[in-house]
Amino acid sequence: MNIDYSQEIPVVEGGLKQAHIEELISKPLDTKPDKKFLIAISISGSLLLIGAICLGLTFYYGIGLWGNNQPVGWGFDIVNFVFWVGIGHAGTLISAILFLLRQRWRTGIARFAEAMTIFAVMCAGIFPAIHTGRPWLDGYLFPYPNQNQLWINFSSPLIWDVFAVSTYFTVSFVFWFVGLIPDFATLRDRTTSKIKKTIYSIFSLGWRHSHRNWQHYEKAYMLLAGFATPLVLSVHTIVSFDFAVSIIPGWHTTIFPPYFVAGAIFSGFAMVVTVLIFVRKIFNLEHIITLNHLERMNKVILATGMMVGYAYATEFFIAWYSGNQFETFVFVNRALGPYAWAYWIMVSCNVLFPQLFWIKKIRRSIPIMLVIVIFVNVGMWFERFVIVVSSLHRDFLPSSWGYYTPTLYDIGILLGSFGLFFTLVILFTKTLPVVSISEVKAVADGAQPSHHGGNH
Amino acid sequence: MLEEKENMPKQESPETKDMHYWRSFEDLYKNPQIVEASHHEFKEGVTDDFNPSELSHISRRKFLALVGASAALAGAGCADYPDKGEIIPYNKKPEEVTLGKPNYYASTSNACAHICGVLVKTREGRPIKVEGNPDHPVNKGKICLKCQAAILNLYDPERLKEPLQKVSGGVFINSTWKKVDEAIISSLDKIGDKEIAIITNRINSPSTLKVLNNFTKKYPTTKIYSYELFNDEVRNSAWQKCYGSGSFPLIKWNEAKVIVALESDFLGSEGNRVENSALYVEGRDVDKIKNFNRLYVVEGNLSLIGMNADHRIRLRPHAQFDFIISLISEVSKKIGKGSSITNSLSLADFSKKYDVPLKKINSLVSDLIKNQGKSIIHSGTTLPEEVHIAVYYLNDLLGNSALYRADSSEILLFPLTKSAEWENLVSKMNSGQVGAVIHFNSNPVFHLADDYGYEKAISKVPTVVSLNEKENESSEFGNFILPINHDFESWGDYKTRTGFYSLQQPVIASLYNSRQKEAILLTWVNGKAESYSEKLYHEYLINRWKDEVYPTLNSALPFDRLWFGALHDGVVNFNESADTIGSFYTAALAALNQSKTEISRYSIVLKNNYSIGDGRFADNGWLQEMPHPVSKITWDNYAAVSFNSAKELNLKNNDLVEIKVGSRKLQIPVFLQPGSADKTFTIELGYGRRKSGIVGTNVGFDASVLQSKTNSLSAYLFVGDISKLKGKHELVTAQEHHMFDNELTKDAALKRKVIREGTVAQYLNNPKFLREDSEIELQTVYPFILYPGVKWGMSIDLNKCLGCGDCVVACTSENNIPIVGKDQVAKGREMHWIRIDRYYSGEVDDPNTSLQPMLCQHCDHAPCENVCPVLATTHSPDGLNQMAYNRCVGTRYCSNNCPYKVRRFNYFNFRDHFRDSYQQNDSFNLIYNPEVTVRSRGVMEKCTFCIQRIMDAREEAIRQNKNLKGSDVKTACQEACPTTAIQFGDINDKESEFQKYRNHELGYYVLEELNIKPNVTYIAKLRNTHPEEA
Amino acid sequence: MKRTNKLFGVAALFNSPNEIIHAAKVIADNGYKNFDINTPYPVHGMDKAMKLKPSKLGYITLAFGLSGAVFAMLFMYWAMSIDYPQVIGGKPFFAFPAFVPVTFEVTVLLATLSTVIGLLTFMFGFPHNKQPLLDTNYMKNVSADKFGAVIYADDPQFNESKVKELFTSLKSHSVELVFEIEKETYPIFQPKFLMLLLAVAVITSGTTYFVLNKLLFMQPFNWMVYQDKITAQEKSDFFSDQYGMRTKVEGTVASGFIPYPYSGQTNPTETLSNPLLPTKKVLMLGQKKFLTFCSPCHGNYADGDSRLRGQFPNPPTLHSARAREFSDGMIYHIITNGQNVMSSYALQVTREERWAIVNYIRVLQRAKNAKDSDIEEIQKGLINASR
Repeated sequence: MNIDYSQEIPVVEGGLKQAHIEELISKPLDTKPDKKFLIAISISGSLLLIGAICLGLTFYYGIGLWGNNQPVGWGFDIVNFVFWVGIGHAGTLISAILFLLRQRWRTGIARFAEAMTIFAVMCAGIFPAIHTGRPWLDGYLFPYPNQNQLWINFSSPLIWDVFAVSTYFTVSFVFWFVGLIPDFATLRDRTTSKIKKTIYSIFSLGWRHSHRNWQHYEKAYMLLAGFATPLVLSVHTIVSFDFAVSIIPGWHTTIFPPYFVAGAIFSGFAMVVTVLIFVRKIFNLEHIITLNHLERMNKVILATGMMVGYAYATEFFIAWYSGNQFETFVFVNRALGPYAWAYWIMVSCNVLFPQLFWIKKIRRSIPIMLVIVIFVNVGMWFERFVIVVSSLHRDFLPSSWGYYTPTLYDIGILLGSFGLFFTLVILFTKTLPVVSISEVKAVADGAQPSHHGGNH
Repeated sequence: MLEEKENMPKQESPETKDMHYWRSFEDLYKNPQIVEASHHEFKEGVTDDFNPSELSHISRRKFLALVGASAALAGAGCADYPDKGEIIPYNKKPEEVTLGKPNYYASTSNACAHICGVLVKTREGRPIKVEGNPDHPVNKGKICLKCQAAILNLYDPERLKEPLQKVSGGVFINSTWKKVDEAIISSLDKIGDKEIAIITNRINSPSTLKVLNNFTKKYPTTKIYSYELFNDEVRNSAWQKCYGSGSFPLIKWNEAKVIVALESDFLGSEGNRVENSALYVEGRDVDKIKNFNRLYVVEGNLSLIGMNADHRIRLRPHAQFDFIISLISEVSKKIGKGSSITNSLSLADFSKKYDVPLKKINSLVSDLIKNQGKSIIHSGTTLPEEVHIAVYYLNDLLGNSALYRADSSEILLFPLTKSAEWENLVSKMNSGQVGAVIHFNSNPVFHLADDYGYEKAISKVPTVVSLNEKENESSEFGNFILPINHDFESWGDYKTRTGFYSLQQPVIASLYNSRQKEAILLTWVNGKAESYSEKLYHEYLINRWKDEVYPTLNSALPFDRLWFGALHDGVVNFNESADTIGSFYTAALAALNQSKTEISRYSIVLKNNYSIGDGRFADNGWLQEMPHPVSKITWDNYAAVSFNSAKELNLKNNDLVEIKVGSRKLQIPVFLQPGSADKTFTIELGYGRRKSGIVGTNVGFDASVLQSKTNSLSAYLFVGDISKLKGKHELVTAQEHHMFDNELTKDAALKRKVIREGTVAQYLNNPKFLREDSEIELQTVYPFILYPGVKWGMSIDLNKCLGCGDCVVACTSENNIPIVGKDQVAKGREMHWIRIDRYYSGEVDDPNTSLQPMLCQHCDHAPCENVCPVLATTHSPDGLNQMAYNRCVGTRYCSNNCPYKVRRFNYFNFRDHFRDSYQQNDSFNLIYNPEVTVRSRGVMEKCTFCIQRIMDAREEAIRQNKNLKGSDVKTACQEACPTTAIQFGDINDKESEFQKYRNHELGYYVLEELNIKPNVTYIAKLRNTHPEEA
Repeated sequence: MKRTNKLFGVAALFNSPNEIIHAAKVIADNGYKNFDINTPYPVHGMDKAMKLKPSKLGYITLAFGLSGAVFAMLFMYWAMSIDYPQVIGGKPFFAFPAFVPVTFEVTVLLATLSTVIGLLTFMFGFPHNKQPLLDTNYMKNVSADKFGAVIYADDPQFNESKVKELFTSLKSHSVELVFEIEKETYPIFQPKFLMLLLAVAVITSGTTYFVLNKLLFMQPFNWMVYQDKITAQEKSDFFSDQYGMRTKVEGTVASGFIPYPYSGQTNPTETLSNPLLPTKKVLMLGQKKFLTFCSPCHGNYADGDSRLRGQFPNPPTLHSARAREFSDGMIYHIITNGQNVMSSYALQVTREERWAIVNYIRVLQRAKNAKDSDIEEIQKGLINASR
């Protein structure tokens, strides 16, 4: 594909010179943590602590401390899992798909998005592990030869999850690390402190910016992007199978895979925007993570938001059209039953509020955008809540209908997961370049030979 | 080999010295190159430029070295195994015991006034389960849940372990039998002319009675008082008024075509319900559709029998009298005999007055007249005497006395004490004329109406001895508390009916330092503490039989053969005439000409409850957790009230109300019960024990405070006032209650074909109506997996299932199911493997009720199996859906994906969680079925179709080398079901009896359309509604 | 890092992408092979300038990706339908559609990992922090914002002066000589390393031991391994004597075990009658039990001639007239009750087995004292059989 980027507004604003870019990006790494940083870390840290305590107690007394019951076997645990996996989709999407689509504006945010992916997937990964009744036996979920000569059930969606999520984590991590290598080299060569230098040297693996390497490097990056793209789609597809493959009305739906993927991108972008808004302010990266970036992302949010809305509508239509009374009941029950409140929170946050992004002013106004994306995050969490809980709480037999109320432990662990996420993000901003130095250099004006245009 | 180079010269020398081994001729003839070459391990150029010093940090060799070393040490590390514990064999193996095989002991349970024969299942001499004794003429191999749960009380860790004696300061301290016996004997000896009161429950054992008589002989001032909270006194006194003598006869429920129950739950909480329901369901056999009976129920609150009624008329108990007399006059008008009662209303007026649908009453009348001699009207013990008299009269009028059983009649060995005598006793106590009171395994402080003032009076008695299994409200007032044996540790004989004795033998030696209560009295009679011996009462019993019973039996066998035979069977039958029924005294009818009851105020009805009896089982967790058959509420009692009355008092569920009867007050939460009569509050007794151990103390509310010694109507029926209080008390149910008015949820079970029903008429004119109703074409993409040999299946006949819940307790006891406690039931985490689903349909005031035992359906295409990540649940070769507890990690996915929601998850280690690890007392380890795993925290579990019994049967078949047949296995629930609603067998065996149910034209699967091929067939319920109604 | 005086290469710095592209072209045209261009980011068109062949990385990816797919599918097939076939929800053992997701994931995983590892280790030879170019002023610049070219000393037509002037002709603003780095050597058996070896070994084995023999038998792993229930021959702390197995209360009767009425009597006046018929099944059982319990004293054919003869008061033959006149019940009585020296066998032999033994003894007795009539009968039997 040949796009003429000369028409395009510059990716890096204010005509920054290479050196300045580098200066700007690696500044947080060289300076001592300031007040803002310490406050932030202490908040997220204490959240993390709360989560840890709740988790410890749960481990000691059993998951009976949670609200789960008959018939609602899955509650916050799985809701959070799906939520975080969803968040984890933006990163790879931005870095891989936008890379393949030659969207150069991605460079400013790709690194950060990838990091968030990894942290989100970490948070997600915790929940399947702790939601089991006997977490200390989670090893059973992996196919290892054992003296009992048992194997696992490869036709169980949970096993697919195990493979999908672990693969996704590994690949995103590798992708991220490969991207980091040249930057490590740069840092290695500009730092003055001995310790830092050794650390950077180790991670840079001895990178020399040699073009003989760059050649393969770009190829590899290409390949990784090529694989990450179907992977990113597969992961949430498979997560959606957890529900779609079961027979519970409200779960047993073929629309789930696309619906979940759209939702994932939706929530992922929302989360990225949420965090970026702060990061670009705190580290004065306004010139590198520009308003254009945010606006573009808001456009994506608007689009995916409408996909999600479409999915909601379809579900209802099919429920009615199928004439299956269980289906029909579940969806009517969602909208009017005991969990109606959750349903309407979901709809308003995910479908109504994002519509404001039709207006350019709002797309480009930081405060409003912030409010909306936070709404979207909330809404997407509730979407998972609605899917998991409201489908389970009234399924086939009226005799075994119930109601699910989360306990303090549920909430504590949810907070904990946010604590973990933000702690990691904050540490990341202080230890690694939040923007890919080499990539941004490569797209700064005058970075490429003039008589070579931009064509790859 | 690293040292190759340096070593080379050294190697030279030994090689020449040693005897020379040659590899080839060149070698032999010392070809120089070969010799040279032989010094290098590798060929030229492979290692000669090898320089170890150039190796980087982690070379292949170092790596291997590391791995090797650690692997070796690791291997060495796996040497030892933890201790697996000791093995303790018998010193001298008893003849009966084969290790791993159960023994059965025939005995008798005294759990309630209706004595039932039991078979106690023991393993290596430890009782682990109670089953019915098939040879017993009354219960015929079935027993109710109280009896089954009695075994939990045997192992109750809170049972008294030593005799207790009160010391100064009112505290009890452990003592020894010798001390207490001597103390008591001495105080009895100097009792002088003061009275000794022995207070006991209803006496059912002739030998016990003899012991008491001996005691009375020794101490002439003794007086015996006996009571039973729920008794047939009213009924019998009415009977005597009508027929002069005898007691109310037993009824041939099986022969009745029309049954009318007035406020009488004879299938649930009244009478010997095991026997009654067995007889009743003979008229509910779909294969004998012609002699289906029709059940009319006229009652205030929806009860178990009400749920099974074909026609139910809700009527406040106070109106029953009006109802019956207007019924009488109507009937007598129609059949033109009998004297109509003067002050009776016409049925039309009656139906207007109490707004009862006239249609129903008319069809009732027509049925009664059509079925003269084949119908029976039965009135409940809560109703006043005159209602009973009227009922007997109507039965007599219709010639229904033909349905009174002549073969056997009830016997009361010792008359229950009248209220006058109680008052007398109390006044004597107050005036100090009573020297000693002996609570003979009884609890008068809790059971006697408060206004007797017994509780105050007792403290004025110098010597109060309580003989109890564990401390209770009465025992604290005594100076001595003596531990007595549990039923299963006791000897005894019982006689509650004519025609047979049933015997009781201990199945295990006393667990604690307790004694048989009769033996204790005998020791005192003998006057010497030393005279006690383990055998004391055993021998006493044998002697009584030898001297008094044996002669009367005129048997051919020598006594000891007969005796052992009797113990073996648990029952001795002999010829004894039942008391004959004379002709009806019309004089009795005078009682019927009395004034109306006023109707403005509220009716308060006290009822027997379904599980914990008169409160003696309040400390039994199994029974407390047993959901109420109608309301499904556990761990509480409540005031049931109709929706209308609730509206006018603006009450919601769980609201506390104060019920005021005269000066007596009760605070209790209300529960809005569909089908309850307006202006009627129904409360179950037995709850609210103030002293009943860790489990039973302060569970529910003690409604007996409303009872009074002088009650105009009956001991259970009052008029009172209701006032709403501020607070709430959470009632927890094992099943969500959903509103009727909500179109979403109304009749859901019927709409979803979970419950499928028809009427007898429907069935008669088209036996296939159910199948035709909705024939779904079910396809599958899978090849069918065939199960050669036996494939297990179950069928449940909803015509016969009355919803009593005996199966639930049987399963609990068989499968080591824990008690979870009220808080967990509230969260919806009860662990019962089988539950009884109750569905309402129709109008809230007059609902149709459908019952459905629900357990694992062992689907061929089980959804739970597909989703289990670790293959912890898979299918067995005989078609069972099986759980591997040890493999389960507890994702709960299977439970989510189970459309029947029959899987149960151990959210906690409930044995540890319930009442701070009460269930982890050593004593409870003895009750576990050794064949069933005790599940731990975090494990999913569910019904296994009693796999342990299947395996047992299979081994037995192999041992006798014959083929395993479906009929060889009986599941616990099937065994317990008093109405044989549950059938179990081999689906592949086309000849078997079971096939009849499996392929019945009324058979259906729940949620058939999911096509998961369940293996539990439900036989649809047929309602025998009156043609005009249907 | 100490450097030798051996020249590694000559490096030159340039300011703009255009210059470096030009430089690359020229160097390549001059026929240099071992040279390299270092730029802070990939400069487009450089491949052409340097005359580089396209990267072969893709093949690694392809190979590993495919093998991943094949392996995953085969493994699942083997595990689910050959090694551990289980009926799961009535599905066929090889449920292809259900295996697709895992196959896909494994494919991607292997493909990506192989790509990256192939790239870093095989193609770049990473990690390689001892490369002479590293840690030079040249490297500092190229990793910031300058563009550099370097020609290595091992290039066949390398000539220091020529290279230098080439660079100056290209208007490089600084030319730098890069020298080899001194090689450090590590002797193998230095105590430090041996200590490490030992430590690693001890730690691994220690943990292995702890995990396999201690941890896995601690809570919560031992839940359900140790059951509260009491199985046969198990100890129970509830009872003071710690016997989990109890004996029945004296005088009680378990169903099927009505006590033997004549126990204790030496010559009972009446005895039980034999409930069993001498069917083949019964006799086989009888023989088995006789040989197990009776033959040690009475001998295999009940002649009273066992190896115990002489060590005891001699066990009697069962073929004596007295023994043959015993009623079945009497023999049963003797087995149950014992006689003289012989003790009761009630505990070892079940009631059914006792009657079977009685029947078997009868067979022996008749065989020992067969009459001609018996022989005739047998022959009759044989003839019938032959017909």
